[in-house]
Amino acid sequence: MTDKMCMVVSEGTFDKAYMPLIMGTAAASMGTEVHVFYTFFGTGLLKKVAKPRLPGMYRLFTGVFQKKMKKVGIPPHDEMMQQAMDMGVSFYACSTTMDLMGVKEADLKKGVKVLGAAAFLKLAMESKITLFIG
Amino acid sequence: MQKDATLDAKGLMCPMPIVQLAKKVKEMKSGQILELLADDVGAKEDVPAWCSRTGHQLVGTEQEGNILRFYIKMK
Repeated sequence: MTDKMCMVVSEGTFDKAYMPLIMGTAAASMGTEVHVFYTFFGTGLLKKVAKPRLPGMYRLFTGVFQKKMKKVGIPPHDEMMQQAMDMGVSFYACSTTMDLMGVKEADLKKGVKVLGAAAFLKLAMESKITLFIG
Repeated sequence: MQKDATLDAKGLMCPMPIVQLAKKVKEMKSGQILELLADDVGAKEDVPAWCSRTGHQLVGTEQEGNILRFYIKMK
């Protein structure tokens, strides 16, 4: 059976947005089944257009960061999430926080599934690795 | 070393060299040798780790300056 890996993302800043995509694409390229669950401030990253910014005052330097990342082959957030999806990474939105954060199901990127805690925990219990990004 | 294909991942940072590598091996046949070029320092450990997980065989590693050259035999 294929190994599974789960991640929970609870923040929506640039750094927290990229970590699951980097880890997720790396794991997927190693043949691992990857599941990423977005909750609280992370939920907005699953919207059709998500432009995460660096935290705090650093937000002003987001563009500089983005340019540097592009230079080394790491694409913009949405493009990389699509790439991860194409590699088979599954993305989930937390049903409760969607309400809380004002994210509607129609706002989500194609391929994102809405999931409750129990369903995600089932996946996490079957996983070899579970990471919390928040 | 003899090779059947080359993947140039120079200038790409982690995780892109192994993401590209995973894509490239899909086009290759069993027994063929892929040459991978990378200059990401992380690749030095990443490529052997990727190989041991995926079952492809790392048959050679060379370094010229900051350029790493890996030879991977397809399983």
